[in-house]
Amino acid sequence: MTTATTSGVSHVPSITCDKALEIARLDAEKVYRDLSRYRIQITVEPDGWHIEYWLKNPRVQGGGPHYIIDATTGAILSKTYYQ
Amino acid sequence: MNPPTRSPTAAELLADPLVQAALDHAWLDSQPGAPPDIRHEEGGWIYMDVATGQLTTRRAGRGILDEIDLSSPPVVFVSVVVGKFHTHPNPRAEGWHTGPSPSDLLMDAAHGVPDLIRAEDGVHVSGPDSRRGGLGGGPGFPP
Repeated sequence: MTTATTSGVSHVPSITCDKALEIARLDAEKVYRDLSRYRIQITVEPDGWHIEYWLKNPRVQGGGPHYIIDATTGAILSKTYYQ
Repeated sequence: MNPPTRSPTAAELLADPLVQAALDHAWLDSQPGAPPDIRHEEGGWIYMDVATGQLTTRRAGRGILDEIDLSSPPVVFVSVVVGKFHTHPNPRAEGWHTGPSPSDLLMDAAHGVPDLIRAEDGVHVSGPDSRRGGLGGGPGFPP
């Protein structure tokens, strides 16, 4: 499941939501492999697309990757792999 | 031994040799130096005997690369859960965050006991400083 919201952005990003998700997915798959365990939350903020993977299973503790992706260039500005 | 009057703090748990040994064993079992398809999270729960104050530990089932289920501590005779522990075996050098994840913080607050997280850079503590509400409230996590 993907949830997308916008906040505080005055221009349309040149990197689409789908493209930002693809950039994040390609990186996340290399590290976490099976991404079906996560729901994805995506928001566009003044500093870019924020994409966060959250575990679907409410019983487990752990983590997923969190990204900030430049909305103009598509560059990954920051990423954190939570465990 | 006299019955304990309060639940141990995270610092007291960390200073206990039995808890230290449980953390060390869990860390080794996590195989932190192994490739990502082998290393995995391990963990369990820390109990206090409410008659003697003696601490014991129980291990949870094996986790996977980045998660573990600590939601169902088994009942231990005359004891209550006063803490839990787990490992973060993935290294900072590969971009991993070694401290508690946002999910850890949420779960640890909900479970109401200190969570000792062993990682390559030491032990991180998450959750309350001691069992929420003291030693009452039943054998599992506090209400």
